Amino acid sequence: MTVAGGLIARNRSRFDGFPEPLLESYESSLRALEPRLTPTQLEAWSQGGLDLMAISLRSWESAAEYFKAGPQLAESTPWDTYEQLAREAGDLTEQSAPLAVSFLRSAPATLTHIGPNHLAQWADFGRRLYKGNWKSSSLAAQFYDAGPDLFGTIRVSHAGRLVLFLDELARHSYELAAACLTSAPEVLGRLEGGDRMPFLTFGVELAQTSWADSRLYFDRGVPLIQRVHGPVRERYLTLAAQVARDHSRSVFQYFEDAAHALGEVEPDDHGPVIELAEQLAPHSAYAAMDFISNAPEVLEKVHIDELAAWQNHGLGILASSKEGGEAYFRLQSSRGEEVLDTLSARVELAKVGDVLRLYAKALTGRNISIHAAAVLAEKGIGWVDEERASTDGTTIYLPEVMELYRAKEENFAAVKVFTTHQAARLEFGSFTFSFDRPSTLFEDLRPTIQEAPGANPTTEIERFFDLFPDRTLASDIHKIAEGTRIDAAITRNYAGIRRALTRMQREELARRPEVSELPLRQAFVENLVRVSLDGTDALRWPAAQQDAMSNGISVLQQLMAESASIEDTAEATLRLYQLAMSIKNEREEGDEEWDSLPDMDQESLQLDMSDLGGEGAAMEMGEPQEGDVEYESPQDIDFRGDFKPELVQLLMKLRDDAELGDAGQISPDQLTEEQLQELLEKSAEIDLDTLLEGDLQNTTGMFLSNLLKEAGTPTLDSDAQSDQPLSDLSTGAEEGEEPLAPIVTTYYYDEWDFRAQDYKPRWCAVKEAALEEGEDEFYEDTLKEYAALVAQTRKQFELMKPELFRKIKKLSDGEDIELDPAIEWMIDVRTGVSPSDKVYWRRNKVDRDVAIAFLLDMSASTDEEIARRDQQYDDSDDDPRKYLSWWVTKRRQELAAPPKRIIDLEKEATVLLITALETIGDDYGIYGFSGYGRDNVEFYVLKDFDEQFGETTKKRIDKVTPIRSTRMGPAIRHAIHKLSETEAKVRILVLLSDGRPQDHGYGRDRTEKEYAIHDTKQALNEAKREGITPFALTVDRAGHDYLKTMCEDMGYEVVGDIESLPRRLPALYRSLTE
Amino acid sequence: MAPGGLVLAAEEFTVREEPYYLPLGDEIELFEAAFEQRIPVLLKGPTGCGKTRFVEYMSWRLGRPMTHISQGGEAPLDDEGPRPFVTVACHEDLTASDLVGRYLLDTDGTRWIDGPLTRAVKTGAICYLDEVVEARKDTTVLIHPLTDYRRLLPIEKLGQVVEAADGFLLVISYNPGYQSALKDLKHSTRQRFISVEFTYPTREQEAEIISHESGVDLAVSIELAKLGEKVRNLKEHGLSEGVSTRLLIYAGRLIERGIEPRRAAQVGVTWALTDDLEVQRSIEEVVTSIFE
Repeated sequence: MTVAGGLIARNRSRFDGFPEPLLESYESSLRALEPRLTPTQLEAWSQGGLDLMAISLRSWESAAEYFKAGPQLAESTPWDTYEQLAREAGDLTEQSAPLAVSFLRSAPATLTHIGPNHLAQWADFGRRLYKGNWKSSSLAAQFYDAGPDLFGTIRVSHAGRLVLFLDELARHSYELAAACLTSAPEVLGRLEGGDRMPFLTFGVELAQTSWADSRLYFDRGVPLIQRVHGPVRERYLTLAAQVARDHSRSVFQYFEDAAHALGEVEPDDHGPVIELAEQLAPHSAYAAMDFISNAPEVLEKVHIDELAAWQNHGLGILASSKEGGEAYFRLQSSRGEEVLDTLSARVELAKVGDVLRLYAKALTGRNISIHAAAVLAEKGIGWVDEERASTDGTTIYLPEVMELYRAKEENFAAVKVFTTHQAARLEFGSFTFSFDRPSTLFEDLRPTIQEAPGANPTTEIERFFDLFPDRTLASDIHKIAEGTRIDAAITRNYAGIRRALTRMQREELARRPEVSELPLRQAFVENLVRVSLDGTDALRWPAAQQDAMSNGISVLQQLMAESASIEDTAEATLRLYQLAMSIKNEREEGDEEWDSLPDMDQESLQLDMSDLGGEGAAMEMGEPQEGDVEYESPQDIDFRGDFKPELVQLLMKLRDDAELGDAGQISPDQLTEEQLQELLEKSAEIDLDTLLEGDLQNTTGMFLSNLLKEAGTPTLDSDAQSDQPLSDLSTGAEEGEEPLAPIVTTYYYDEWDFRAQDYKPRWCAVKEAALEEGEDEFYEDTLKEYAALVAQTRKQFELMKPELFRKIKKLSDGEDIELDPAIEWMIDVRTGVSPSDKVYWRRNKVDRDVAIAFLLDMSASTDEEIARRDQQYDDSDDDPRKYLSWWVTKRRQELAAPPKRIIDLEKEATVLLITALETIGDDYGIYGFSGYGRDNVEFYVLKDFDEQFGETTKKRIDKVTPIRSTRMGPAIRHAIHKLSETEAKVRILVLLSDGRPQDHGYGRDRTEKEYAIHDTKQALNEAKREGITPFALTVDRAGHDYLKTMCEDMGYEVVGDIESLPRRLPALYRSLTE
Repeated sequence: MAPGGLVLAAEEFTVREEPYYLPLGDEIELFEAAFEQRIPVLLKGPTGCGKTRFVEYMSWRLGRPMTHISQGGEAPLDDEGPRPFVTVACHEDLTASDLVGRYLLDTDGTRWIDGPLTRAVKTGAICYLDEVVEARKDTTVLIHPLTDYRRLLPIEKLGQVVEAADGFLLVISYNPGYQSALKDLKHSTRQRFISVEFTYPTREQEAEIISHESGVDLAVSIELAKLGEKVRNLKEHGLSEGVSTRLLIYAGRLIERGIEPRRAAQVGVTWALTDDLEVQRSIEEVVTSIFE
C-alpha cells in the first residue's frame, strides 16, 4: 500500500458528513502529490487539509480548494511552500472561509508569477483588505482571484502600493475599490514598468484626498500619463502627488489639465518644464500645476530658454504673496502678462497694428488700415495666402504673428520691412499704371506692339498683360521688376530701414533654389530674382549664353534709378519677357559650365540699352515653343508678399464706380459681369482652383460677388457694413442678427484681485446696449406726483446757473481801475503807507463744465418692496387677530396704492434729476447695470452723454426693472470709460445701489464679500485717478459697514429714509458740483 | 534785428537786417500791393510755417529806402528809413484795453498809457496780431474801424479817436487748424482782410530753409524735410497739427551741433509733437526708417 493509500484509508472516516467530492479531491490530491513529497511531508500536507476542515462549519470549502491546489503547484515547488500555503490557508480560513477559497484557488497560478518567496506577502495583502465584514471579504477575495492576472503584469512591490490604494478607496466605497481592482491588471498592463509605481503612488494620494476622482483616474489616467515624456513621467506624478497631498480640491482636474498641456509641448521640453514646476511646488502646488497647464500657451510666446525667466519672476511674486503668485501662473494677472510680453520675442499684429497703421499713413499720406492677411484670404477675392503680406490698395495685410527671429526687435524690424514694402507700393505708385503714359527711362515699346483686335480690357494693367501670349511669365517678370524698383526706392528714401531690408534680402537669397538645376528659361527668371535681391554675385549662368543674361541684368538695374516709374517697370517687363522667350526652357544637358557673371562695366550697360530699345521696329512677342519644359513660376519672395496689380486696379476701379454710383452718377463704362469673368479667367494672379472649390461657373460667380461686395458696389446690398471700420479689440462689436435686436457692444475690463494684488486681465465682458423702450407714462406720472418738488428743484438749479461773465476785483492787472481800491491807494500814498497795487478789475468768463454719469443698480434685490422693510409685522406678538387686522390693513393699502419698490424710487429719483439737469444744462449720462457672471455684465444705456434728452429717454426709464446680480466693478469701469470720453473739466460718477456688490464668481465663493468690495473699491480708485469724482449712494441701511471700506476717502451716503431718495438726489447733486 | 541788450519802446522796434525768407509763391507781391493800398492782411496757415517770419521780412522790405510810399498825413516816419513793427501775441485773456491802453495810478492821480495797438496806429507801424482768434471778442470792436476806409482807433476811455498814421497796416494771423466752433473768426471780421494762405513748403523748399536756418548740409535737410512731409500725413489722425518747419530747423540745429540724427528727430519732432505714446511710437518708426 502506498503512503497515500494509507493516509486515505486512515482518514476516510473524517470525511463523513461532507460532500462526496471533498473526499474525491482529497484522494486525487494525495495521489498526485505522492511522487513529489516524502511520506512525512505528504502526511503533513494531508494533515493541513484535515485541519482546515475542522476550523469551522464552512471551512471544508477551503479544504477542498486546498486539496485541489496542491497538485497544481509547480513540480519544483519546495516543500516550504506547501507548508506555508497550509499555514496561510489555515490563517485565512479562520478569518473567512470564502477568502481562503479564493486564495487557494488562485494560489498555484499566482505562485508561478510571484515565486514562493512572496507567498506570505501576497497573503498579507489580501488580509489587509479584509476588515471582517462581508464587503471587505469580497474585495479581498477579488484580490486573490485577480492574482494570476495581476501578477502577470506587475511586481509584488507594485501590488503592495495597489493594495494601499484599494484599502484607501475601500474606506469610502467598496464598489469603487472593486471596480478599480477589476480594471487594475488591464490599466497597469498598459503602462510601462517604470511608470506603474508612480502611477499607483499618485493614486494613493488621490484616494486619500479626493477619492471620488480615483475612478476617473483609473479610467483615464493611463493615456494622460502617456502624454508625458517617458523619462520624466515619474517626476510628473510625484509632483501631482504633492498637489494631492497639499490640497484636496479638484486634484484630478489639475492632473488631467497639466497632462494634456504637456502633450502639447515638445517631449524634449517636458524635462525643463517639470523641473521649473518642481521649484514652484514647495511654495504652492497649485502654482506648479497651473504652470504646467499653461506651459503651451506661454511657450507659444516665449522660447523654452526664456521660460525660466518667466517662471523666476513669478516665483518672486509667489514667495511674497501666495495668491499673487498663483494668479500669475494661472495667467490671470496683468503682471504675468507684462512679463510674458517683455520676454516674448514674437510680434503680434494685434499689438503693433495701430503703430503700423499710423506709420503706413505717414509714409503714404493715405488712410491705410492694417489687417491680418487671413482677413484678406477670407474675403475670397483672389488672395489665398493667410501668411503673406499684401495690399489691396486701401489696406495693408500682414501676417498675424511674426516669429522669424529670436529677438523681439528683429521680429518687429521684419514686420516693419513687410509694411514698408507694401506701403511703398502705394507711395511709389505700383497701382497707378497707365498704358499710354510714357516711361522715363526707356524708349516706349508699348505703342509699337499690335494689340489684339476687339479686346476690351477693364483696367490699364490688364491691357498691358494682354500683350503677352504667356501671361504667367509676364506676370512673374513684372512682379520681379516692380519688386526691384520698390526695394530700390525704399533703400534710397529710407536709409534707416536699409539694414533690415538688406538682411532680409540676404536671407531670401540663401533660401533660393539651386539655379543650375532649373530649365534654362526658369534659371533666367531665377537669376533676375537674385539680381533684384541685390545678389548679382549669386548668379549662375552658362557662359555660352552670357549675352541674354547680361542684357537682362542691365534692364533690371535700370529700374533702380530714382526716376523709375511703374511705366518703366512695364517697359522693362517687355524687354525681359522678350529675352526670356529667346531662351529655350530646357534643361542644360551638356557639360556647359555655369559661371558667375563677369562684372559688367557701365559702358557695356549703355551699349546693351541702345541695343534693346533702339530698334524702333514693332516688337515681336515670342510664342511658347515646342519641346519646352512647362514653365514654372519662381519661388515667392517672402518679405515682398503677394503682388496682384491686376486685382488691385480692378478693385480700385470698382470702388470708384461704387462712389460714382453713390453720388447718383452712372459710370460711363460700368463693368459688365462678362468683362469681369473674362479678366478672372485670363489673369495669372488668380488661381481659381485654390481659391474656391466647385464648378467654374459657380466659383467665378461667387468670386465676382465677393469682389463687388468688397468694392462696395451699390447694386449689392452691403451698404452699412462695408463703411464701418473693423472695430478694434476693445470694442469688438457684435451685431445682432435680427434687425430688431438691440445692438450690443462688448467691452473687456480687468478685474482687481485683492489677494493677488493684481489685475486679472480682460476678465469681465461688459455688454452695452440701449435699454428697450416702454411707455412715457411713468415719466409724466412722476412729474405729476412730485409737482411741488419738481418746481422747487428747478428753481434751485436755476440759481446755480452761473453768470456768463463774472467781475473779478482787486487784481494787479485788469481792464480798468476799480474805484474803491483806487481811493484807498491814493490815501495810502498820501499818508505814506505802502499802497496795494491790486486796483484793477476784469471780467472773467465762467463756464459750467460738468459731466456726470449715473449708474443705477438694476439687480434683483431692488425688486423689494419698501413697505415690507418698514412695516414688518412684529412677530413677538402672537395674537392671530391682531396679525389678521394688520394684514388686512396692509393689503387694503396695497390695493389702493401698489407698494413701491426700491427700483421705483430709483426711477423716480432719476426723473427728478433729469428735470434738474435739463434746467442747468450739464452733460449727463444715465446707465443701468446688472448681469450674471463675469462674461455677462449687462450695461444699459438710458441716456448717453452725446444723446439728447427726449421721448426715447422717457420711454427707457419705464423699462428699468430688476434683473440679476450686482457686479459693480466692471460697470464702474465702463462708466469711467464713458466719462473720460467727455471733455468736461468736472466729471462725476454717481453710483446708486441698494446693497453690496455681489455676483456669481465675484469672490471665492457665494458667501465671500471682500473680493467684490475690493474690486469695487479699486474701480472707484481708478475713477479718481482719471480725475473723476466718484460718489456712492445706497439705500441699504447696513451700507455703512461696506461703504466705509469701499469708499474710504471718497464721498458716500446712506439714505436712511428710502422714500426721501427722490428729494435727496438733486440736493446731493448740487452739493457735489457747486 | 535789434542788437542784444538794447531796450526799445514798442513803436521803435524796427527790423533792421534782412530776415531770411524763402518765397513760396507770390505772397511778397501780394503783400506789397496790399500795403500800397493799405488793405489789411490776414495770414492763414498752420503753426510754424513761417507767417511771423514773413511779416518780419515784409516789414524790413517795405522799410527799405527805395520803397516808395505815397504821401500821407503826419506820419512821423516817412518812406525813408526802417518801418516800425509791432507784434502782439494774442491769448485768451487779451482784452481791448490790453491793446488800446489803460490808466495807471500815479501819485498825482491817474496816468494814461498807450497800448501797443495805439502806438502802432500813432507811429504808422505794421501791427501784427498773432493768432487773433485767441483774443477776446471785444477786441474786434477796435479792429473793425481800423480796417475799413475809416482807419480810426476809438479810445473809449479817453473819449478820443486816433486816426491811423499813413504807414499803419494791420496784419493778423489765424490758424485754421485749431478750429473749434467757439474759436472761429467771425465773418464780419474776416471780410475786412485779404487772406493769404500759407501751407508747408515743398520738400525741396523746406530742405533749403532748414539748411539755411540750421546750417546742416542739404542732404540732411532733405531727410528732415521728408520726415516733416511724412509726419504731416498724420494730421487729424493722432496729431492735431503737423510738424512745423520751425521744429525741423531745431532738429537740424541739434544735428549740426553733433547730436545723432535719430536722437535729434526724437526730441525735436517726436516728443515735441505729442504725448500720445502710440502716435509717438509711430513717428518714431518713421524716424528710424528715414534716418540710419
